[in-house]
Amino acid sequence: MSSEPRQFASPLARRLAAAAGIDLTKLTGSGPHGRIVKADVEKAKTATPPPHPAPIAASPTLPAPAAPAASAGYTDLPLTPMRRTIARRLTEAKATIPHFYLTVDIEMDAVLALREQLNARLAPDKLSVNDFILRAVALGLRAVPEANAAWAETAIRRFTDIDIAVAVATPEGLITPIVRQADRKGLGEISAEVKSLATRARDGALKPEEYQGGGFTISNLGMYGVRDFAAIINPPQACILAVGSADPRPIVKAGALAVATVMSVTLSVDHRTVDGATAARFLATTKSMLEDPLRMML
Amino acid sequence: MTESVSDLIVIGGGPGGYVAAIRAAQLGLSVTLVERSHLGGICLNWGCIPTKALLRSAELYRLMGEANSFGLSAGSLGFDLDQIVARSRAVAGRLQAGVRHLLKKNKVTVIEGTARLIGPGQVAVEGQGSLTAPHIILATGARARLLLGFEPDGRFLWSYREALTPDILPRRLVVIGSGAIGIEFASFFAAFGSEVTVIEALDRILPVEDHEISALARTAFERQGLHILTGATVTGLTKHEHDVEITVESGGQTLRLPADRVIVAIGITGNVENIGLETTQVRVEKGHIATDSLCRTDQPGLYAIGDVAGPPWLAHKASHEGVLCVEAIAGLPGLHPIDPKRIPGCTYGHPQVASVGLTEAAAIAQGYTIRVGRFPFAANGKAIALGEVDGLVKTLFDSTSGELLGAHIIGPEATEMIQGYAIATTLEATEADLIATTFPHPTLSEAMHEAVLAAFGRALHI
Ligand SMILES: Cc1cc2nc3c(=O)[nH]c(=O)nc-3n(C[C@H](O)[C@H](O)[C@H](O)COP(=O)(O)OP(=O)(O)OC[C@H]3O[C@@H](n4cnc5c(N)ncnc54)[C@H](O)[C@@H]3O)c2cc1C
Repeated sequence: MSSEPRQFASPLARRLAAAAGIDLTKLTGSGPHGRIVKADVEKAKTATPPPHPAPIAASPTLPAPAAPAASAGYTDLPLTPMRRTIARRLTEAKATIPHFYLTVDIEMDAVLALREQLNARLAPDKLSVNDFILRAVALGLRAVPEANAAWAETAIRRFTDIDIAVAVATPEGLITPIVRQADRKGLGEISAEVKSLATRARDGALKPEEYQGGGFTISNLGMYGVRDFAAIINPPQACILAVGSADPRPIVKAGALAVATVMSVTLSVDHRTVDGATAARFLATTKSMLEDPLRMML
Repeated sequence: MTESVSDLIVIGGGPGGYVAAIRAAQLGLSVTLVERSHLGGICLNWGCIPTKALLRSAELYRLMGEANSFGLSAGSLGFDLDQIVARSRAVAGRLQAGVRHLLKKNKVTVIEGTARLIGPGQVAVEGQGSLTAPHIILATGARARLLLGFEPDGRFLWSYREALTPDILPRRLVVIGSGAIGIEFASFFAAFGSEVTVIEALDRILPVEDHEISALARTAFERQGLHILTGATVTGLTKHEHDVEITVESGGQTLRLPADRVIVAIGITGNVENIGLETTQVRVEKGHIATDSLCRTDQPGLYAIGDVAGPPWLAHKASHEGVLCVEAIAGLPGLHPIDPKRIPGCTYGHPQVASVGLTEAAAIAQGYTIRVGRFPFAANGKAIALGEVDGLVKTLFDSTSGELLGAHIIGPEATEMIQGYAIATTLEATEADLIATTFPHPTLSEAMHEAVLAAFGRALHI
C-alpha cells in the first residue's frame, strides 16, 4: 500500500470515481501530465458496468407503464426532486461505503427516572428520551473525536464542532436538520432546538444551512416500536446511530435474571474513516453516559 | 515577394491570429501572418482595450465626484472628452506596437495586406503575390452586425468604432442592445452626463448572465439614472436636422425617443466574405465558419479561430483557440477541446459583472441538483474600506459531486477576481478545495471564499 505511486487526479474526478465505485488506479488520465479528470471518470462509467450489481435484483423488474393506468393494479408516483436525491445518495452510500455495524444494549431506567423528575419541574415543557440520547452522543463524540469525522476522498476530515444531524421523517421523505455544537448545549436547549427544527422540517420551512453539513447522524425509530435496525450512512459522515425502542427486557444482573428497560442502538460505520475499536469506544462512552445520566448534567 | 513558402499562414492579426502565430513560432514552425489594417485586431484597436481606457477615465471621474466622502477636496471637477479619447487611442497605439515587437521577436513574418484563399494551401495577398503553406488559419474576426434602417451614417448612428472616437458628448444617447459592449458604452457616456436609454429586445439586460445578476445590474444602472427598456424593439427612425427620433415598441406601447446619437450594439457577424471561401469546402453557418473541437474546418489544412469561428465572441477565447489549433497542427499530445463552461465573461461598466460556467437557470435546466451560495460585498471588510459595497458573489455547486458549476460576481473588481473561479473549474476543484484555500485578508476575494462557504451553510461573516 505505502509503496503505491501517487495517483494524479482532479479532486472532482476522485469524488466521482469514489461515488461510482471506480478504481482510479485503473484509469489513464487525459489531463495535463496524465492527470485523471472528470471526463476520464465519465468515460469509465459508461464503458464498464458498475462493480456492484443493482441492489434489488430479487424484485421483478416492472415495465414502465405507457400511461398511469389505475386498472393495471399499481400507480406510478412521479419522483419529486427530493425523492430523486434521496434515491441517488442512498444508493451511492450503500453501494460504495464499506459499512460495518456495532450494536449495544443500553439500560435506560436511570434516564427514564431522571427524565420524569426533570419533566415534573419543567412542565409544560417536556424532555424526550431522544434529547438525552443526543446529549449523550454529543459527549461521546467529545470523548472520541475520531468518530466525528468524514471521508473526504483524499483525507479523513475530523470536525472541530460537534454538529449532530437528526433524521426527521417528512411527507416528502427524510431530512436531517442539524443541532450545531450540541456538546455545548444543555438538555433544555437541545430539546427546544430539536422541536423547532422538526416542526419546521415537516413544514418544509428549513433553511439550507439548517440541514446541510453535520458530522454525525442519529436516526430514531424507537417510537414506532422498532427494536433494532441498521441505518445507511449519511455521506460524507462516517457514522450514523440507529436507535430502537426502550422496553422492559429480561437481563442478567450479578448472575440473576432481572428486568430492565433496555434500548438497542446500532452504529453504522464507514470503515475507511473509523475503525472498529474506535467506534466501540465511542459507543461505550455514550452507553455509560445514558446508564449514569447525572454525568451528562455536568 | 512573389511566392513564399512557410509551415503556417495566419490570416488576421487579432488576439486569435497573433497569438496563434507566436505559439507556432515557439513550436518551431515558420509562420507568415497577414494583417490588412492593424495588428492586435479589433480587441486591441477598437474593442477590449480602448473601451477599458475610456472606462478608466469614467471611473476616476466618478471617484473624484465622491472625493468628499473620503475626506478629500477635488475642487471643481471637469473633463475634456477629446483628451479622454486621445488617451484611449494612445493606449491602443502602444499595445499595437507591442504586438509588432512580439511578432518580430518570435521571427514571425508579418505582411501588411489583404489576404484571400486561392486554392488548397494557397493565399494571395492583394497586390503582393502569393503564399503557400500546408496549414492556413483563418482569424479574420468579425464586425458589428447591422440593424436594418440603423446603419452607421457618419453622424447620428454609431457602431462601436464611432462610439470609441465620439465627435461630441451626446446629451441624449440611445444604446440599442444590452450585451457587454452596449452596457459598457452606456456606462461610459452616462458617467459624463449623457442621458442614456438602453433598449433591449429580451426581457433583461446582460442576457447571457445569471437572472439575479441581470436584475442587480439593472437596479444599479437605474439608480445611476440610466433608462432601461427591456422586451422592447426599435421599429423606426426619423432623422431631423439636429437629432433623430427612434420609435420603440414595448409592452404593446409605442414610444418615441429623441436622441442626439444612437449606438447600435446588437452583436457581431463573422468576416467570412471576400476571403476566398468559395474555393474551399468550408461551411458557413449563421455568419461564422463551422469548425470541429480542434478548430478544423471541413477543408483539410484549413482552420478557423476566434470571432470568425463563432461565439463566445471574446478575445481570450480567440487566443485560447489559437494556441489549441496550433498545438494540434504541431501534433502535440493530450489536447483538450475548449469547454465553454470554463471561459469567463466580463463586462466593465459600473458595476462590473463577471461570470464563469452555468447560470442558475441553466444548471437547473440541465438537471443538476444545486447548492447556491451568495455573499454580499456589504459584508466584506475591504469593500467597506474601499467604499464599494454594492454587489455580491454567487456560486453554484452540484450538490452531489461538489463540482463548481458556475460563479457570478457583480461589484468591485469582479472582472479581476473571476479568474480565481476559472482556475478552480479548470483544475476541477470541489467545494472542499475552495474551502481549504486561504484567501488573503483584507481583500475583496474573501467574498469569493464566503460565497463558497455560504453554499454549504457555513458562511462566517453573515
Ligand atoms: C467595443 C468592443 C469591446 C470589446 N470588449 C471586449 C472585452 O472586454 N473582452 C473580450 O474578451 N472581448 C471584447 N471584445 C471582443 C473582442 O474584441 C473579439 O472577441 C476579439 O477581437 C476577437 O479576436 P479575433 O482575433 O478573432 O478577431 P479580430 O480581433 O477581429 O481580428 C481580426 C483581424 O483580422 C484582420 N483581417 C480580416 N480579414 C482579413 C483579410 N482578408 N486579410 C488580412 N487581414 C484580415 C482584421 O483587420 C483584424 O485585425 C470587444 C469587442 C468590441 C467591438
